[in-house]
Amino acid sequence: MASRKLLLGLTAGRRLRSRTHQLFSVANLLEASTSHSPAAAVASTQPSGGSPAALLFSLRTISSTRQATQSAGDASGRSAVDHKLIMPEDEFHKLADETIHDLLEKLEEYGDSIQMDGFDIDYGNQVLTLRLGDLGTYVVNKQTPNRQIWLSSLVSGPSRFNWDAATNGWIYKRTRANLVQLLEEEIGELCGTPVELS
Amino acid sequence: MMLRAAGKRLLGAAAGRQASPAGAARRGYHERVVDHYNNPRNVGAFDKDDPDVGTGLVGAPACGDVMKLQIRVDEGSGRIVDARFKTFGCGSAIASSSVATEWVKGKQMEEVVAIKNTEIAKHLSLPPVKLHCSMLAEDAIKAAVEDYEAKKAKLEKADEDGTPAGAIRTT
Repeated sequence: MASRKLLLGLTAGRRLRSRTHQLFSVANLLEASTSHSPAAAVASTQPSGGSPAALLFSLRTISSTRQATQSAGDASGRSAVDHKLIMPEDEFHKLADETIHDLLEKLEEYGDSIQMDGFDIDYGNQVLTLRLGDLGTYVVNKQTPNRQIWLSSLVSGPSRFNWDAATNGWIYKRTRANLVQLLEEEIGELCGTPVELS
Repeated sequence: MMLRAAGKRLLGAAAGRQASPAGAARRGYHERVVDHYNNPRNVGAFDKDDPDVGTGLVGAPACGDVMKLQIRVDEGSGRIVDARFKTFGCGSAIASSSVATEWVKGKQMEEVVAIKNTEIAKHLSLPPVKLHCSMLAEDAIKAAVEDYEAKKAKLEKADEDGTPAGAIRTT
């Protein structure tokens, strides 16, 4: 695992264009007792030549792209990565960071205005944590490999939001809920005062 | 002994090293999570081609979480008689899937798809950031049941079509 993380770090700047092959089977990963990257077919658009750069590029492709096909045998889409990753990573970061920073600002203002005991917001390592005193905690973070924003809500539990360009928002596919609206509803309810987060 | 030492380190290290995103109050793994980590139940695998076996595979390595949960179903009664899991992930993910294999044993398939991630999370006292692990375990159970039923449907269809049993079944 550490070796894969190192490779991801080294190739962080590369833009991924490969769309096609399932590059390795997750089942193989579990069968094998090591966590080394498998010797799998490489992406069709990798740079030519047998340079280490090409290998790094392909490994990065293996690790970061085709999650959609790697959740084997799950036609219901129940796996965590059941969508096509068509969003480039930098675009994802831009959209997600914007959303999360926006939430942070608005929640801070809200916290100041309602003067609730134990209301605490924190943002560190790109993770937003909202503590509501004894009621519990909300956590919002980016899940970059899936291009998702993950929410842990003390009301509705865990949910995973994908960017929906049509509605310009983050949507949880199972419930069609919008991230910002969901937070508005729940937090407004919990704190007793309506909140505007959009 | 090494496992126990690792467990202690896990308990201790978690308090300091856990990625508490906001520098929040230190929190160790709940003792049930440590227990499942040190003494995981039902680790292993069944032959996925066995007609009595349903395999649920969820998650993705890049996310840091993959769970494979398998059930062995008694064809006559529809009861799950055995379960195995293999999980690649954090202590909470391992514990969640380990709990899942314990809970599905002896139950009907209709019962286990009602197992909710909130129950698993409560049982393990998972902190907010780890609720996602329990969700994955719930998904794994459902995926295993679906796989078994899809397999069964395929086999039954093959029988109806008069396909020689030997062509599909693996014994």
